Amino acid sequence: MFVHLQGPWNPVWGRLSLQAIPYQNPILVGTFLFAMIAALAIVGAVFYFRAGPYLWREWFTTVDHKKIGVMYCLLGLVMLFRGFIDALMIRSQQAMAVGPHSPGYLGALHGYLTPFHIGQVYTAHGLIMVVFAATPLLVGIMNIVVPLQIGARDMAYPYLNALGFWLTAAAAALVMLSLFVGNFAHGGWYGFLPYFELPYSPGVGVDYWMWAFQLSAIGTTMGSINLIATIVKMRAPGMTWMRMPIFTWASLSTNLIALTSFPVLMVSLALLGLDRYFGTHFYTAGQGGNLMLYNDLFWVWGHPEVYFLILPAFGMMSEIIPTFSEKTLFGYATMVVASFAIGGVSWGVWLHHFFTMAAEPSVNSFYSVTTMLVGIPTGVKVFNWIFTMYRGRVRFELPMLWALLALFLLLVGGMTGMMNAFAASDYMWHNGVFVVAHFHMMVLLIASSIFGAVEYWFPKVFGFKLEQRWGKWFFWFMVLGTAWVFVPMFILGFAGMTRRLDYVPVTQWAPYLRVMLVGMAFYVVALGFFVAHLYVSLRDRMKNRVGADPWGTTRNLEWMTHSPVPAYNFAFIPRVHARDEWAWRKEHGMANLGNESFEDIHMPRNTGVPVLLGALSFALCFALVWRIWWLAAACLGLVVLVIILRSFARKTDEVIPATTVAGVERAAQDALASPARG
Amino acid sequence: MSKRGIKGALKALCAPLLLMLSGCSKSGLFLLEPKGLISQVTYHYFNLDVGIMLLIIIPTALLAIWAMWRYRKGGGGDYRPEWSHSYLIEAIVWGIPLITVGVLSYLSIKAIYQVNPYNPGAISSKGTAAGKPLDVDVIATDWRWLFIYPKQKIASVDRLVIPAGVPVRFRLTSTSVVNDFIIPQLVGMIDVMPGMRTKQALVADKTGQYVGYSADYSGAGLSWMNFETKAVTKAQFAAWVKKTQAAPQTMTYADFNRFAKPYLAVHHHRMVFGRVQSGLLDYVVREVMSGKVWRTPMAMTENMVRYMKKQQANVKAGEY
Ligand code: HEM
Ligand SMILES: [Cu+2]
Repeated sequence: MFVHLQGPWNPVWGRLSLQAIPYQNPILVGTFLFAMIAALAIVGAVFYFRAGPYLWREWFTTVDHKKIGVMYCLLGLVMLFRGFIDALMIRSQQAMAVGPHSPGYLGALHGYLTPFHIGQVYTAHGLIMVVFAATPLLVGIMNIVVPLQIGARDMAYPYLNALGFWLTAAAAALVMLSLFVGNFAHGGWYGFLPYFELPYSPGVGVDYWMWAFQLSAIGTTMGSINLIATIVKMRAPGMTWMRMPIFTWASLSTNLIALTSFPVLMVSLALLGLDRYFGTHFYTAGQGGNLMLYNDLFWVWGHPEVYFLILPAFGMMSEIIPTFSEKTLFGYATMVVASFAIGGVSWGVWLHHFFTMAAEPSVNSFYSVTTMLVGIPTGVKVFNWIFTMYRGRVRFELPMLWALLALFLLLVGGMTGMMNAFAASDYMWHNGVFVVAHFHMMVLLIASSIFGAVEYWFPKVFGFKLEQRWGKWFFWFMVLGTAWVFVPMFILGFAGMTRRLDYVPVTQWAPYLRVMLVGMAFYVVALGFFVAHLYVSLRDRMKNRVGADPWGTTRNLEWMTHSPVPAYNFAFIPRVHARDEWAWRKEHGMANLGNESFEDIHMPRNTGVPVLLGALSFALCFALVWRIWWLAAACLGLVVLVIILRSFARKTDEVIPATTVAGVERAAQDALASPARG
Repeated sequence: MSKRGIKGALKALCAPLLLMLSGCSKSGLFLLEPKGLISQVTYHYFNLDVGIMLLIIIPTALLAIWAMWRYRKGGGGDYRPEWSHSYLIEAIVWGIPLITVGVLSYLSIKAIYQVNPYNPGAISSKGTAAGKPLDVDVIATDWRWLFIYPKQKIASVDRLVIPAGVPVRFRLTSTSVVNDFIIPQLVGMIDVMPGMRTKQALVADKTGQYVGYSADYSGAGLSWMNFETKAVTKAQFAAWVKKTQAAPQTMTYADFNRFAKPYLAVHHHRMVFGRVQSGLLDYVVREVMSGKVWRTPMAMTENMVRYMKKQQANVKAGEY
């Protein structure tokens, strides 16, 4: 062993022992029971309906970009729920634990969560929301929409696509497992050095955090390679760069950011791993280590990462707003330039995350200015959306409501971002809840765009529209919750309240914290409406069936093919004549092609290898977390072996015969013609 | 629900608005009540910055609302579906943010130099009129603040006493992990890092009590890692120094090694030291650089009540 470990270790079980299971904590026992009941219900249902083979054949082993996208979204939704529960715990703890006379329960001096526990809760909350909720949802939607928008039949690398998903899922599972076996990191989602070194974080929490993060980073990088290759190489004939739909542009920009920045994250985490496992001194305070190095490396990824999240959201807004304004997007070229300007500038601003690190004033000035530059293209985008509505016919349907909410959140988030960029002000509230409120405006903007995008593209993927009544209730309660949580949080930001408090010493802040709890209650009600929205939509799916173009005023290629989209996307690869090809075709009376001479279609074949690699990576990371060396070695060996064996596989593709294609196409036509069965 | 319950709920519902109106009097809204030279300069620039941005943001929001209402379907606005470009508008939408960012950048740079922690323009421009500065060395441990007055050779735990109207210059370091030093009504944050030394400077305008705390996450004791800042008159300060110098407790390098062990400052134990071995801050920086660590126990606050009992027993046994 190279490092000093606190606590026992043995060669068979590593650091794992029965003590790692938190059976004394009633909250975790409750969570465990809930998780078990849910798992049993799901497994039971699978057996009862004999859905196992179907799930394996059609979903687990699939390489279809739409199905992978759907799985990404489901993963994102589950993790969004987990992250939301974490948020409830943080808010209730802080509302309870104010002032020295507030009561304490469950071993806490105040409130019901000790620093050890609430630390894990907000670390998990942050990591989950960024990496396991927002990212999968966005990647999932890009996965579904981009190939359709450019008239392709699948991604450039379908197998890599599945692999990226299963690695992300394995990483998410690792985070969930840390609830019941061991514990999670308790310092904050982005890691603090040297706090995350062994002497100050001696448990396995940081290791869980590190490996889950690392695994998901690998998954996301694979996804970005794939999307870039797909966009560059697989566009339908006639789709020149300047005819590309704006969401595809946003995806290209965002994945270029991912491809260039995620490797930095991997390196920064790997160096931490060396420190924790081999006793090196990259980030230690003493013996030549440099803790600032971590801040630099992490935020060289971290800032581009936030733009990796926001650009697809901007892309979604740029699709939804024109459709529901019944008009083309204002300033297409400007939007493209702005997307890339945002992407470009995002590499040169990372130091604004540690303005307080006593850099020279000239250095802080430089980064203050570059950060403000981001405001320019962002502002331009806002104006362009407004001018898209100008002289349009705005329809306030659900996707549009979400997009408009996103627009207003962007105004608040952008302005407060600019306030953070003003370094002298930032000295007052860095590491404070003002920053927290700023980026929650931004991530709620992303969430709003995602909800809008799901409403918008759902009928394309599943063939029926989501109902609107409960959806609107959901929307309005989200608005209410946001106001009631974040207005007080901004005020507390001006109060100078700092982040990550387990106990709030300033009693004047109590009223604001209580109001935020009311906001959380609105969010809980919103969650109820969301469930109702899904339930009613699923129940009435037959009544709400739609054709290729459910919104009537859509503009891009994806609306040309059937809803739900057949496995091969397009029976014929379309020829593109214009920007907004579908709108162009509708105008020129070319909406109905009715070609009858179908051809064989060449498609990738399903494979179970990605699932296997996901499972092995999960086991590998688990072994590394607990320092079970033999298991780690075995898993690593198997991973390498499987990759080598797979490289010899020859039959990775198959052909859908023309007769099958003809059958599917006819069935899709008939389904529309037949009257809806309610 | 009882009547009080209903009233309480109503109050909670309307609170965001009420809170905004009630504004910033003795309300714990520290940043809006600056009481020191540096914090006032910061506040001045903050107001400028926000004011200029609101000049753009509010009209933009109104424009958005107007556009979506005026051009709602069935609202009779003129409809030009193919209209998607105008050089004039493009010039305006790039021009406005460009000019704004230019102005804000200029202000930002000016402000950065004004409140530069190592040599704040706001203080140095006053020259000798500002008075002869007081030096304070700050050492953050897990999780307490030790304030050393090197010239006076005294030290104080979790309580900073300074004379009002006099510039105070800090040198700061940490024993273990990174903390952030802030007294929101007097001065903004500066990182306090192990194995390194940073600086900060402030002037308190008036006598009074101000809260200070650590802002960067440093572990289990962070929530309790706050300190009291007392700005007093020069005479009171001199008297305090004298009284403290008479205190029996001393702090040598060896004492410090014991003092710096992880300690949750829940029941602030505000000690003073009448004699401090000189060069303590530099000693700590050197020690940490050569690899000294004060380890945190595993799962330390998994049960905080139990841990506090243990800590109190240790204090009694004289381990700190
Ligand atoms: C106009 C554009 C923006 C500007 C000028 C801006 C500026 C800043 C600055 C200066 C900080 C550091 C504050 C501090 O730690 O003291 C910050 C933090 C942050 N911003 Fe933004 N931002 C912008 C847009 C965004 C976007 C689009 C996102 C997308 C999600 C985002 C997410 C975040 C996050 C997550 C943090 C804090 C991370 C943490 O400390 O946990 N920001 N922003
Ligand atoms: Cu940033």
